[in-house]
Amino acid sequence: MSNQRSFARRLAGTLIERWVGRAYVEEFLGDLDEMYEDRLARGKFIAEAMYWVDSIHLIFGFSSTEKQQSHSMFIGNMIKIAWRSAVRQKQFTILNLLGLTLGIATCLAIGLYVYEESTYDSFHVNGDRIYRINQPMIWGDWNEQLSCMGPGITEAIRAEIPDFEEVTRIMFADEQLMSVTIDDQAKHFNEAKYFMAEDNFFKVFTFPFLKGDPNTALKEANSMVITASTAKRYFGDADPMGKLIDVKSPTGTNALFTVTGVLADVPAQSHLQFDMLGSLASVTGFDSGRSTWIWTIFGTYGMVKEGTDVAALTKKLQALPPKWAEPTTQGVFNQTFEQFTKGQPWTIYLQPLRDIYLAKSPTFNRFGPSGNPEFVMIFGAIGVLVLLLSSINFMNLSTARSSNRAKEVGVRKVLGSEKNTLVRQFIVESVLFVTVGTVAALAIVQLSLNAFNTLAEKQLVLLPHFTSPYFLGVIIAFILIVGLAAGSYPALYLSAFKPAETLKGKLRAGFKGTGIRNGLVVFQFTVSIALIICTFFVQKQLNYTRTIDVGITKDHVLQLYNMHQLGEGADVLKARLENNPAFTVVAKSGFLPPNVWTGDRYRAEGPNQPVVDLHYMRCDENYLPLLQAEFIIGRNFDPANAADKYNIIINEEAAKVLGYGSKETWRENSPLGKSVVQSFGSEEKLQIIGVVKDFNFNSVKQKIGPLLIMRNDNDKHWSYGAGFPSYLSMRLNPGSVSSGDELQRIIDGVKAEVAKVDPAVTFQYSFMDEEFDNTFREERKMSVILNLFTVLAIVIACLGLFGLAAFSADQRKKELGIRKLHGASVRQLVFLFSSEFTKLVALSIVISTPLAYLATDYWLSNFAYRTPINIWVFMAAGVTAMSIAAFTVGFQSFSAANANPAEVLKNE
Amino acid sequence: MSRVIGELEELILLAVWILEGDGYGISVKKEVERHTGRSILLGAVHITLYRLQDKGLLESELGGSSEKRGDRRKRLFRITKKGMVQLRASQEVRQKMWSLIPQLKPGS
Repeated sequence: MSNQRSFARRLAGTLIERWVGRAYVEEFLGDLDEMYEDRLARGKFIAEAMYWVDSIHLIFGFSSTEKQQSHSMFIGNMIKIAWRSAVRQKQFTILNLLGLTLGIATCLAIGLYVYEESTYDSFHVNGDRIYRINQPMIWGDWNEQLSCMGPGITEAIRAEIPDFEEVTRIMFADEQLMSVTIDDQAKHFNEAKYFMAEDNFFKVFTFPFLKGDPNTALKEANSMVITASTAKRYFGDADPMGKLIDVKSPTGTNALFTVTGVLADVPAQSHLQFDMLGSLASVTGFDSGRSTWIWTIFGTYGMVKEGTDVAALTKKLQALPPKWAEPTTQGVFNQTFEQFTKGQPWTIYLQPLRDIYLAKSPTFNRFGPSGNPEFVMIFGAIGVLVLLLSSINFMNLSTARSSNRAKEVGVRKVLGSEKNTLVRQFIVESVLFVTVGTVAALAIVQLSLNAFNTLAEKQLVLLPHFTSPYFLGVIIAFILIVGLAAGSYPALYLSAFKPAETLKGKLRAGFKGTGIRNGLVVFQFTVSIALIICTFFVQKQLNYTRTIDVGITKDHVLQLYNMHQLGEGADVLKARLENNPAFTVVAKSGFLPPNVWTGDRYRAEGPNQPVVDLHYMRCDENYLPLLQAEFIIGRNFDPANAADKYNIIINEEAAKVLGYGSKETWRENSPLGKSVVQSFGSEEKLQIIGVVKDFNFNSVKQKIGPLLIMRNDNDKHWSYGAGFPSYLSMRLNPGSVSSGDELQRIIDGVKAEVAKVDPAVTFQYSFMDEEFDNTFREERKMSVILNLFTVLAIVIACLGLFGLAAFSADQRKKELGIRKLHGASVRQLVFLFSSEFTKLVALSIVISTPLAYLATDYWLSNFAYRTPINIWVFMAAGVTAMSIAAFTVGFQSFSAANANPAEVLKNE
Repeated sequence: MSRVIGELEELILLAVWILEGDGYGISVKKEVERHTGRSILLGAVHITLYRLQDKGLLESELGGSSEKRGDRRKRLFRITKKGMVQLRASQEVRQKMWSLIPQLKPGS
């Protein structure tokens, strides 16, 4: 009978054998088989099932008794032993925990940052069906994507493509001056986060309404929804619904908007950030003009129907531009569609909503923040590296430490401990360590989160994550994985000792972990040195960008914003400021370097001249002298010369792209007196009266582009009008700004002047050099955080090295003592002892140098102006690492070499 | 006898005594089932047998295999002196209590 047992019965039998004490197995299995035979009479299935029921019952009934009999150690006992050995070797314990805690805390903080950055826009209910519709950057590099469309595409989609449930548009509006009157008191606000949204906006996006009806709030012209905190700012605790807000519209006229809804504040993790949304219906005729395909200030979002094949839909969308954009290219540029695109495909992209924030392209988002995927990647990598470093440390020190416990293991084995029990002991110890480290790290992160948030300009939180089972799962998994990984090596290695040998002391001489330990040290130092080098170059590049000659004098230039809100008053203010002795020049301009973003299409006059994209800026005759821009040929605008109103000045680069060659060829073919034709509208001709030396009108991250400078009163260009921003700039008289107090007094004076002209205008100013600096804000932020983590990595690596050196010193006490007896000097001993570690660090330098070179080279390739990659930086980093290592090891080696040999050798 | 034994313990102890040296898991189970008419799980029988042995009311030895059991021996239980005393004690308790029940009056 027994040879016919089914698989199910055999399995049950095996389980019983595994879990029930050996003493019982025979009789139980016998009983089970006997019963099985009896039960077969009632059917095989019943017999089989009852076999299992009985088996399980027996297992439950007898496994608990079993445990107490065969395991000599309980978990409580293990913890007690772990605690004793931790206390016995305090130095190791503290080093070990410190390194581990630092590493976990760093990784945790970075983890929070990466998590936050990669979960933007996840609160929208239909988020997985929402796509932003992008197109090529038609104003420059057609390979780049542009996140804003003309309003025309939406009309085309609505007419032809049924796959979208909704398509909605949000229109960019420049900074607006808003006013409300409360109790006859006028309040003024300058609003940058104000956009115009279409009435179906809230059908696509989930922004919960506190008051008002999402379906109708934006239906009527001149209606507006505001966020709760904006409502508070404007109306205090009064009910904002139905209140009027006066908006100075882009055309300079005022319009009254009615508040029709109050939204909960927009979550920080949204790529759309607004305080107020006006109804798009308030903008009359935005979708009927000639330029509906090139007026690229409309964020366009589509929600596809359930189950739509997005790839097929994208394919369908490609047919739209050639079919619909032609009237625009003809009407505005007098070009056919093909001429306008120069044969480049006008691709329509569908970008999933949740990818928008961290996408590599398009980089620019008019309606809120956009993330930097490179930072997230770099920091993610650093987080993992630092964690790896500290885990390695932990493993290293645990292994080293555990060899001191070889005797303990030997004794235990002699007393009958099984290998499994020993393995379990070491793993429990290491898991305990990691648990303590993790708890400490959580506490540290929680305490330092505020500081980190200030540094990274984020609003990270830790505590709310504790309610997420996912987060807890990750933490627990982390503890187990690191604990197991770090504990497994010493556990398996030590428990395999032969007790006779360890008790004789043989292990000391033959302890074999060194190969792996050395490898780990090399890895740690490679990472640390590479980080030192990279950090150094980031710093060097940042310093370098500050010293680049931008071609204009950017120091001592005070700039006033919102001057267009003054209207005619701007000239009054300018005249008053000119009388101020603190200023040498006062000038008016339509843009401020380094933020000249506007561009248009032009061509040199004459047959078959190519159409080129030029940046343009508007200014008066004082602005170029204020910038101290250098004229190569020609002259500045002359107010006495009436014709100058429509004349222009270009830069060298523009001369080149327009086909006038470089300054060497100008003697034969001077651009002066030549005309540039606006390649749109009425094809106005603009005569060149001067060429200036190239200067950086954008961030020095970029190369200098072609630039056309026209008078700010040139009314033949479409950008003329009250709605376009204008600024006043003043060059400070260096003699009058000898102190910060004095500067503050000057600024206060200007503020008073502005208030005298129009008290409603917000006073806002900046200094040009600071604005240039600000273009490197992100990089500077990164550099600060990078510095922090580099220091952490080095500290962790040093902790590890220190621990190993201490361990090694302890191991080699006798060897050094005997050498000393035989006449070795302290110097020789220190050298002997240190050289072991010096070799490791030297190897790390060799490995890290090319790695750091590649990383630096890659990062620097983002910049137009690069700091050279000097050899001395690598050497300095190597020397730094070496001296840090020498310092760390030095202490140990001196104390080891100085020990009295008699003391060391007396006990055997 | 200070210790009190439970109902199942008492039944199983009795069954072992009845079987007179032939009591092992299954025979005990069958014996109890036969007299009480209810079915009990093998595990419960084993657990109780071992508990009784721990209490010193039973003793056991391995012996007697059969082909049906796949040549595995069974653990044969035998009641100890202490077990007998315990059973008698609990019987006496019951008897005493029964005797205290008011006699049935005729006609009621």
